[in-house]
Amino acid sequence: MNKKAANLPPIIEIRKLRKRFGGNEVLRGIDLRVYPSEVVCLIGPSGSGKSTLLRCINVLETYDEGEVRVNGELMGYEEVSGRDRRRASPARLRESRRDLGMVFQQFNLWPHMSALDNVTEALVSVRGKSRAEAEALGAAMLDKVGLADKLGSYPANLSGGQQQRVAIARALAMEPSIMLFDEPTSALDPELVGDVLEVMRSLAAEGMTMVVVTHDMGFAAEVADRVYFLEGGQVVEEGPPAELFNVPKSPRLGAFLSGWNRRNA
Amino acid sequence: MTMAIPGLDMGVLDAYWPVILGGLWTTVRLCGASILLGMAVGLAVELLRARVRRAAPLCRVYVEFFRGSPILIQLFLLYYAGPGVGITLDPEAAGVMGLGLYGGAYFAEIFRSGFEAIPRGQLEAAACLGMPPLRTLLRVELPQMAALVLPPAVNQSIILIKDSAVLSIITVPELTKQTSKIINETFTIAEPLLVLAVLYWLLVTGLSAAGAALEARLTRHLNPSGKTS
Repeated sequence: MNKKAANLPPIIEIRKLRKRFGGNEVLRGIDLRVYPSEVVCLIGPSGSGKSTLLRCINVLETYDEGEVRVNGELMGYEEVSGRDRRRASPARLRESRRDLGMVFQQFNLWPHMSALDNVTEALVSVRGKSRAEAEALGAAMLDKVGLADKLGSYPANLSGGQQQRVAIARALAMEPSIMLFDEPTSALDPELVGDVLEVMRSLAAEGMTMVVVTHDMGFAAEVADRVYFLEGGQVVEEGPPAELFNVPKSPRLGAFLSGWNRRNA
Repeated sequence: MTMAIPGLDMGVLDAYWPVILGGLWTTVRLCGASILLGMAVGLAVELLRARVRRAAPLCRVYVEFFRGSPILIQLFLLYYAGPGVGITLDPEAAGVMGLGLYGGAYFAEIFRSGFEAIPRGQLEAAACLGMPPLRTLLRVELPQMAALVLPPAVNQSIILIKDSAVLSIITVPELTKQTSKIINETFTIAEPLLVLAVLYWLLVTGLSAAGAALEARLTRHLNPSGKTS
């Protein structure tokens, strides 16, 4: 479980990250590290900044101060001589997202394309694969998430859980080394959550590096190597789930967990 | 082609059907060209407005001007004042350009509402996959925008067809112009105007039906049980 012991450098390194929306500072000096093959869950009350933090990793949000590095590469900015930096160009940004797959709460599938077309689109247009290659790979990816029989279905004809698995297949097909999940099961009916979590569990077991924003403490306790508890834009507590969940050090985490237990008893 | 309608003598039109059908054909041709020009201009204006910051004010001026003044005045300006500034167009070209630029302002607004109705998350997904903006536009945005705006775009096209009657004042031999010629030559009013109204109605109804068929096709994917293969 303890992958830090392998002495590999962190694959994601975030230092002193700050992000403001207008006058509202939502991230107030975040430090976070993710090591290869680790599963890190970000938990915390709504408004704590956990989704914004995740979206700063692939620069869907541009952060104001501090730095985010993926595989050592500064995300969102280009370093200009010494300590100056300027916003990365769109082309540079696209290139630096190459290692990152993203799964959204609302799936964000393209509704006018079949499940297979959703998966193959970027394989053809970004990776330059031939139609046939892309379709073979896309079909394999959909098979991997248990949807081999849904290749031709449009998103409107799939359940929420199936749509989210198509979205996972779409991200995985690009062969990212890190997968980011932004509350992947929060928009799903309770009975559909299991299939999505199952796919995520098997990804974790294969050694995929994962950062997961989640409200599902059960999943975090079971799958995460480490959990970060955020509140008010700061990391309040961080550590293996067994420690965090059984003996929370901060009263705020204790209150958050007992609230969750009450609601899910 | 004589119809029996009480109180009307449709027989007076017998000699004029070639003129009427010629006018109809001119209306169809010019309206088709105007609608295509209007959509092309409208799309270009909206893409520039939304994506090229420096072009946005100019695009807004264009929309405000062409939406803010009557088509009649715009046509007069183009056709009669145009030559003064070196723009000399024959009546048909002036008509298509006038209707196209006028319609373009409305189409730009229609397309804007269509683009804005596409959930942002779909574009974020494309960005996360590394898709360049042009590819995202062509594959993700345009197909959905087209389906979304079809009803208002058909509506705007219908308005353009009916507005095309004003081309008669710059001497284009379209349906309305030919009909008034018949009125002058035969000293009948009701019969030619009735035919005129029915022909416009047929054009508009045909366009609506085509729009409805196209909409059904473009929104297939929203229909439960729809499959591609």
